[in-house]
Parts: sequence; C-alpha cells; structure tokens
Amino acid sequence: MDDLDRTIHEPARLRILTLLSGVDEADFSFLLNTVGLTKGNLSSHMDKLEKAGYVTIVKTFNGRIPHTDFRLTPEGRSALEKYWEELDAIRAMHDARE
Amino acid sequence: MTTSAKNQYQAGDPRQIVRWARRYAQSRTISFLVQWVFIVVMVMGIGLAASLTQAAHQEGKTATFALSVIFMFLAALALVWFSVSRWSGELVFSITNWLYGREGYVSYSGNHPDKSLPLWLTGLGGGLLAYHLLGALLISFNYMHIKYMQPWSAAYMTPYLILMVVYQRLGFWAWLWPVLYGLHAIALMLGLPIRFGWELELFNIIAPIFTYGLIAILIGHAYSRYALWKLKSLTQTTIPEYDEAAPDGDQEEERAETPTNG
Repeated sequence: MDDLDRTIHEPARLRILTLLSGVDEADFSFLLNTVGLTKGNLSSHMDKLEKAGYVTIVKTFNGRIPHTDFRLTPEGRSALEKYWEELDAIRAMHDARE
Repeated sequence: MTTSAKNQYQAGDPRQIVRWARRYAQSRTISFLVQWVFIVVMVMGIGLAASLTQAAHQEGKTATFALSVIFMFLAALALVWFSVSRWSGELVFSITNWLYGREGYVSYSGNHPDKSLPLWLTGLGGGLLAYHLLGALLISFNYMHIKYMQPWSAAYMTPYLILMVVYQRLGFWAWLWPVLYGLHAIALMLGLPIRFGWELELFNIIAPIFTYGLIAILIGHAYSRYALWKLKSLTQTTIPEYDEAAPDGDQEEERAETPTNG
C-alpha cells in the first residue's frame, strides 16, 4: 500500500480521475453532479489534482457566467494507469496468500 | 492501457466508470436534435424549391423558374453557413448547455480532441450538398424520375454519415440514422409498399430523414439517461468513501508528514 500514489488513492480524487480518463473534458457541474461532493470539496480536490499536475483547469466565461472545464493531463493518465497496475498487483498478492 | 474502455472488467471494478462516462458523453443527443431540426428545414426548403423549379420549367414560367433556382441556392448556402459558422456553433452549444444545465458539460471525441473535422471530411460535406443539388436539378430537368430522389440521396448520405459516425466516435444510436436511411432506399428500389403517392412525392425523402433521425436521436437520449444513472451508481458504489471511523486519506497523509515528538 505504501507504493500507491496517495494523491490518487483518496476516494473522491480516484472517482474524479477515473471519470476524466473516460472523456476528453468535463465541467465543474458534471463532476459535481456525478461524483457527489459539495462545491467546496470538489474545488479543494481539483486544486490538489492540479497542483499534482494530473488535471488542467480551463476557466472561461459564457457571457457573464464563469465556466470551468477539467482535462486529464498525460501525467495524470499515466499516474492513474500506474495506480491501477499497482492495485491489481496488490490484489493478486492478496489472493495468492489466501 | 489499464483504463481503456475496451477492457472487460468484472462487476464492481471501478474502471467500468471509464466505459460508462464515455457512453454517456457519446449519447448526449440534444445538440444533434437542434442541428437536425435545421437540416430538416433546409432539406424541405431545397425540396420545395426543386418542385417549384420543375413546375415552372414545365409551364415555361421564366421568372418563377429563376426565383426558385435562386431560392434553392440560397437554402443551400444557408445550410453551408449553418454548418461552418461560429455563430451557429455557439447557438447549438448554448441551447445544449441550457437543456443539459443540471447535468453539466462533458465531451468525448476519441483521438480527435481538437474536435475539428479533417479537410477531406469537410470536403465530403460540401460534396453532399453539391450531390443533392445535382439530384434536384436532374429531377427538375426530367433527367431523373422524382421516385429515385431518396435512393439517389442515400447513395451518398449513407456512406457519408457512417464516415462521420466512425470519425466522431459517436454512440451506437448514431448508426441507426444512416443504416435505416440506406435500408429505406433499398426497400424503395425493391418496390416495397412504403412509397407516398405522387402528390406527396417529397415525403419519400423528407419522411425518412425526419423519422429515422428522430428515432436515432430519441434512442440516444434515452440511452444517455440510462448511462448517466449507471455512471452515478458506479462512481458512488465502486469507489466507496472511507469508513468514517477510519482516518481519511488526507488526514493520514498529513499525519505522515508531521514529525512526532520523542
């Protein structure tokens, strides 16, 4: 478990990254609606993911309404793939022990 | 690629989220509904102009003939303008966002994240227009019987739309339109009793476009409801929150970074 990326291992961030890995981009409302977090929590997780270099945040305006889109970066994609590989390896080891 | 949507994961594997997020993004059909309404209006405009041109030509009414040809080209130009203009793109985007307001925005375009079509496909779009104008003119000047209008249209439209569906990585629903349109053409050529009478001849092309398009879009929309439900359910059940009694990831992380005394 020590090898797992702790930024990704947090459930809300794992949900966000897994969702984003299936699409090109998604906005704040979509993630809020799907992941089931409060606005504050989602913002906080997105900040952490951006600081880790795993997502890019694009802020635009539709008229006067602010619009925020998120994309998984190549670093984020490869970190997520590595995370699943490591988790699969841990599970396989656990199954072998049993 | 471990997170590929093509991989088969067991029930309960969080990586199924990838597949359902993609399916949902591919099935949001409201933007197609808006574009579809415009296309139907333009096709009706071109068809009406073609009928007028034919009637005016037969009756030798030069002024009406000239006006209907001009109207036909204006309708065609409006179709091209709507297809390429930034204004129409923003209009469709705004309407889509308004209708999907509470669900938010998500997109998937496969390997083409810039979303712009390659030049050859845009060229084929222009060809589609020229091909239909040619068909309308052939009918107007009695070089082709009007009963071949839909099969003539399908000979270009079906492969063109299939190319668009493949290129834009749209969901299964998007195949329905071109496939049903092509099958309709085959049925007409085989003489199956699905033809409107001569007084409603235009409906032989308008009805398949209208009906099959609507069927595809509504099936896509219904599927997107299911995909969204499935996505929410998977997202919140396959990756559960930490047990409240257990330390959460962030707290654990912060503790690990805090030096202990003694």
